[in-house]
Amino acid sequence: MLNTPLSRRQMMLSGAAAVAASSLSFPRIARASSDTEIVISSTWGQDKPFQKVVDAFNEMKLGVTAVNRFDGNYEEATARAVTSIAAGRAPDLMVTGWKFGYFARRTLNARDLREIDEARANAILANFQPSVLPLVTIDGALIGLPWAMSTPVTWINRDMWRAAGLDADIPMDITHDWLLAQCAKLDEALKAQGHPTYRSALDLSSNEWTSQAYIQNAGGHILSPTGELALDSAEAAAGMRAFAEPVRRGLWRPVDGQAQLNAFTSQALAVTTTSSAYAPLMNAQDFDIVARKFPRLDAARRMNSGGNFLAVYTNNDEKAQAALTFMEFAASREGQEIWSSVGYMNTSVHDFAEIPSPEAAQAQFADGLTAETIWPGARGLEAQTVWRQYVGRILEDQMSVEDALRAAQADIAPLIA
Amino acid sequence: MAKRMTSRLAPYLFVAPAILMVLVFLYLPILVSLALSFSDWNFIRPDARFVGLENYRAVLGDTNFHAALRNTGIYTLILAPLQVVIPLLLARLLVRLGKSRLANFYKSALFLPTIIAFSIAGATWLWLFNPLTGLFNIVLEAAGFAPQRWLEDPKLAIWSVSATVFWKTFGLNMLLFLAAFTAIPPELTEAARIDGARPARILWRIEVPLISPTLFFVIVTTVLGVMDDLLGAVDVMTGGGPIDATTNLLFYLWEKGLRFFQFGHAGATTMIIAALIGFITWAQFKLLERKVHYG
Repeated sequence: MLNTPLSRRQMMLSGAAAVAASSLSFPRIARASSDTEIVISSTWGQDKPFQKVVDAFNEMKLGVTAVNRFDGNYEEATARAVTSIAAGRAPDLMVTGWKFGYFARRTLNARDLREIDEARANAILANFQPSVLPLVTIDGALIGLPWAMSTPVTWINRDMWRAAGLDADIPMDITHDWLLAQCAKLDEALKAQGHPTYRSALDLSSNEWTSQAYIQNAGGHILSPTGELALDSAEAAAGMRAFAEPVRRGLWRPVDGQAQLNAFTSQALAVTTTSSAYAPLMNAQDFDIVARKFPRLDAARRMNSGGNFLAVYTNNDEKAQAALTFMEFAASREGQEIWSSVGYMNTSVHDFAEIPSPEAAQAQFADGLTAETIWPGARGLEAQTVWRQYVGRILEDQMSVEDALRAAQADIAPLIA
Repeated sequence: MAKRMTSRLAPYLFVAPAILMVLVFLYLPILVSLALSFSDWNFIRPDARFVGLENYRAVLGDTNFHAALRNTGIYTLILAPLQVVIPLLLARLLVRLGKSRLANFYKSALFLPTIIAFSIAGATWLWLFNPLTGLFNIVLEAAGFAPQRWLEDPKLAIWSVSATVFWKTFGLNMLLFLAAFTAIPPELTEAARIDGARPARILWRIEVPLISPTLFFVIVTTVLGVMDDLLGAVDVMTGGGPIDATTNLLFYLWEKGLRFFQFGHAGATTMIIAALIGFITWAQFKLLERKVHYG
C-alpha cells in the first residue's frame, strides 16, 4: 500500500478532503462546551499560585473557563497587549503593574468595572480594604482588582547579626541611623573575623521604589498629591542624602536587583531593603531571616506600595461579565486564601491563619501606604527610567544630590506634562 | 501561444514568493517605520497625527540617544577589531593543527559559545560578574586585589558587556576564516617557506591577501553586526545601565518602541540607524573594497 504512487488528482482530492474534514470537526469541538472562555494575560506561568487560582475557579464550573496566558514581565505583557489591542484582539483580563495605571486607562482603555456592572463591581471591591481602592482608581474610573500589593521592608540575616555580636532581638520599628550604626558594627566585626561568606553589610536597592520611600519618609514627594513633580524640595533632598549615605560610608556597594537577591540568599549580604513579596523566597532559605519595617527617618514613616492589579480590557459584554465572575472568585475568601501563598500582602477583608507575607509588611499596610509613582503623561513610562538614572548618578556620586534633583525635575517635567 | 506565455512567465512565478516575502517583511516595515517617524500614533488610537520632523527633533535632542550613540561607537571600537583579529589568528593556529582530534576539539570548544542562547549565556556571565558572590571577585580577592562591580560600575560595565559579547560571537568569524585558510592552495605557502619566508610574513603577504574577500566580508558584517550582538547581552545583563553606561542604538530603539510605546520616536530612531548603517557600509566599501583580491 505504501508503495502505491498517488496521482496528482488523488493528491488534490485527499488534500481537499482533509481540509474539509478539519473545518467540520473544529466547530464540533468548540461547541462541546458552552462556557465563555476568558484569556488572562499574566506575568505568572503554570507553576505559580495564580495558576492555582485559575484552576480552582475552573473546577467550580460557573459557565466561564479562565485561561492563564503567561506573557512575560509587566513590560512584555503590556507590549503584547498593545499589539493585540491594535489587532482587535484585546486580552480579556491582564495583570497590570501599578506603574502602568495611567497607561492602562488612557491608552489601553482598561474598563471601569462599575461601567460593566456597578452592583457586581461594588460587591467584588467590598472584599478589599477601603484604603486600597484609591490605588486602582484612575481618572475616576475603578479599573482593577487590587489584590497584589507589596511594600519595601528590611530583610535581615539574623545569623550574621548574631555572629557580629549584635542583639538578635531586633525591634520592628527601626530607624535609618540605628540601622546604619548596626551595619557599621556588623561590617567591622565580620571583616575582622574573616567570615567565610560575608561581603557587604547593606543594600537599600538602587531603584526608583526605595528612593521614593526615603523621599516620602523625609516628608517629601516625587509627585505631590495634586500630581505635580516635587523633586526640587528640601525634603526630597534630605531623603536622597539619607538614601546615599550608606554608599558614602562604604556600607553599601550598589548592585542590580538580581545580584542583590543572589547575594542576600547566599549570605554574602547581611541586610537588604526590598519587596515584601519575596517572602516565599526568604522563607525557603535555611538561615535565620527576619523582616522588619523599612528604616524610618526623623519624620513619621510614609511608605509606598507596589505590585499589580487585575484589569478588564475586553469590549465584548459577555466576556466582560465573565471577567467579573472570575474576579468574584478571586476576591472571595477561597480565592484569596489560595492567592495569599504568592507572598503579597493580604489586602482583603478576609483573615487567614498563616500567610507568607511578613508581619512588617502587614504593619506598614495597617499604617497606610501610598501608591508607587504612577507617572502620568504620554511619555510617563520614560519618566521612570530617567528618574532611576538620576538615582544611579546620586549613588555613584556623579552629581550632588541637589544638582541631580534639579536636573531630574527639569528633564522629567516635560515627559509627564 | 499559451505554452510560450507560460514559459515566459515561469521564472517570474518562481521568484514571486521570494520577492513577496522581501516586500512584505523588509520593504513594507521600512515604509511603515518611515511613515511612523513623521506621525504621533500608538497603534491603538484610530487616528495618526502628522507631526513633521518633531519625532526626529525629540530623538536627536534626547540625552539617552546621545549616550546610545556614544556607546555604540565605543562598543564598535572595542569589539570590531577584536572580533576580526582574534578569530583570524585562532583560525590560523587551527589550520596548523591540521585534521587532528585536538584540532576538532578546539574548533568545537571555540565555536560552542556562538550557539548558546544569550538568555543562558547571560545568566552564566551574570553569576561570574556578581560583585558579591561571583567567581571573578572571589579569584581577585584570593589574589589580594579589591573586588570590582563589573556590571554596576559605570566605568567598567561597558568593558564587561563587551567581553561577554566577544566570547559569544567570535566563533562564527573564526569559522569563516578557517574555511578561507583551508581553501588556500598549500603549494603557495610551501614555496614561500622554502624561499625562507617567516610565518608572520607568509600570513601577512600571502595568506591575508588570498583570503581578502572573506576578510572584507567579515569586517563589513562585524561592524554592522556589533549593534545586533549587543541587544541580547544588554537586555539580559544590564538593561542599558548602570545609569546609561551600556545602552546602545538598538537597545534605545527597543526601549522607545516596546517599553515606552513611543512608536513615532522609534520610527525616527529606525530611520536614523538605517542612515548611519548605510553611510558606514558605503564608507567601508569605499575604503576597503579596492584592497580586496577576488582572485
